[in-house]
Amino acid sequence: MAAVLGLLIGLILGAFVKPDIPIVLQPYLPIMVVAALDALLGAARAYFERSFSDKVFVISFVSNVLTATLLVLLGNQLGVGSQLQTAVIVVLGIRIFSNVSAIRRFLFRG
Amino acid sequence: MGNKETNEKTPIDRNIHTQYDEENDNIETGAFPVIRRRVHKLGVSKSGRPLTHALIVLLCALLSFGYVIQLNNKTSTYETMSEEELTRLIGETSTQVQNLERRKSELTSQLNSLQLSADKQKEAERIASQNAQTSGLLSGRLPAEGKGVVITVDRGSKAPVDAATMFQLLEELRNAGVEVMSLNGVRVVTSTYLADAKGGLECDGKILKPPYTVKAIGDQQNLQNAVNIAGGVGSRLKVKFGSSVTVDASDNVEINETSSPRQFRYAQTVE
Repeated sequence: MAAVLGLLIGLILGAFVKPDIPIVLQPYLPIMVVAALDALLGAARAYFERSFSDKVFVISFVSNVLTATLLVLLGNQLGVGSQLQTAVIVVLGIRIFSNVSAIRRFLFRG
Repeated sequence: MGNKETNEKTPIDRNIHTQYDEENDNIETGAFPVIRRRVHKLGVSKSGRPLTHALIVLLCALLSFGYVIQLNNKTSTYETMSEEELTRLIGETSTQVQNLERRKSELTSQLNSLQLSADKQKEAERIASQNAQTSGLLSGRLPAEGKGVVITVDRGSKAPVDAATMFQLLEELRNAGVEVMSLNGVRVVTSTYLADAKGGLECDGKILKPPYTVKAIGDQQNLQNAVNIAGGVGSRLKVKFGSSVTVDASDNVEINETSSPRQFRYAQTVE
């Protein structure tokens, strides 16, 4: 499956290539990772619901990451960076939980 | 909710319950609604669209790549911290520094007091050992050696030397500053007594026979003078008892005799 293959490639790449993250990007990387994780879990849920669309996945992935990053950037500029970062993490966390519970329902439908 | 679950379960009910469960398990917040996927025909997405597949791979690779990088990025540099975070960090650090400084001064004062008491103890030990030596010599517990004189008093040709005169000799020596002395093998201490006895003298329970030898440690000149002074005890011995008195100065008078310390029955030290 494409997603698993991509994850493996990324893991190996990240383990061997150790690039210096630009300092501008450093505060946003964790948020980006969490947002991407949310998009991935949403895609998994859609896959189990048999309504997976790769186009939607790609768009939701990119828009998730971008929105999260921009929100934190905005927060940093307004001086509420850490609070907004927490807010974004909380919301993404809720979404991850709901996606996981949906996936769980599909897996253990009985 | 609870009522529905307590109902008996038929296959139909179970379907209903699944439906309810789905509602109940839904933890989407109202404020952040999940975008619904539009329902579309099955199979379209599965069929080959190589570009989107590549995109999926790329995006997933990016995700795990970023994850691993963030994992490896242990050095949480201060550059990325916001101003207030840095302020808080400085505050915490300075509080910690103050605490450590206080602790350090506490420990330093403790160390000082310990050193002081150790010094005191060492001083006390020194004084105690000095005292032990001094009192050991005074009480005759320790043997002694040093500069002094050896006085020999022969048997008197006119009369036997009596205890009073001998005691006077010892007293004269004491006046002259003798430090340690012995008489015919008896250590002379403060409690030493002399008494007349048949054929000689009794000193601390021992019978002494002439000639009498007095070993005395002290200033040689003073001791010699004390004996030989005109009209002193030396001339009295010569004149009254007809005994010859010789005083030999020696640089190394050894007094190995010791007297066993007294057991005090009545006297007690005042605390």
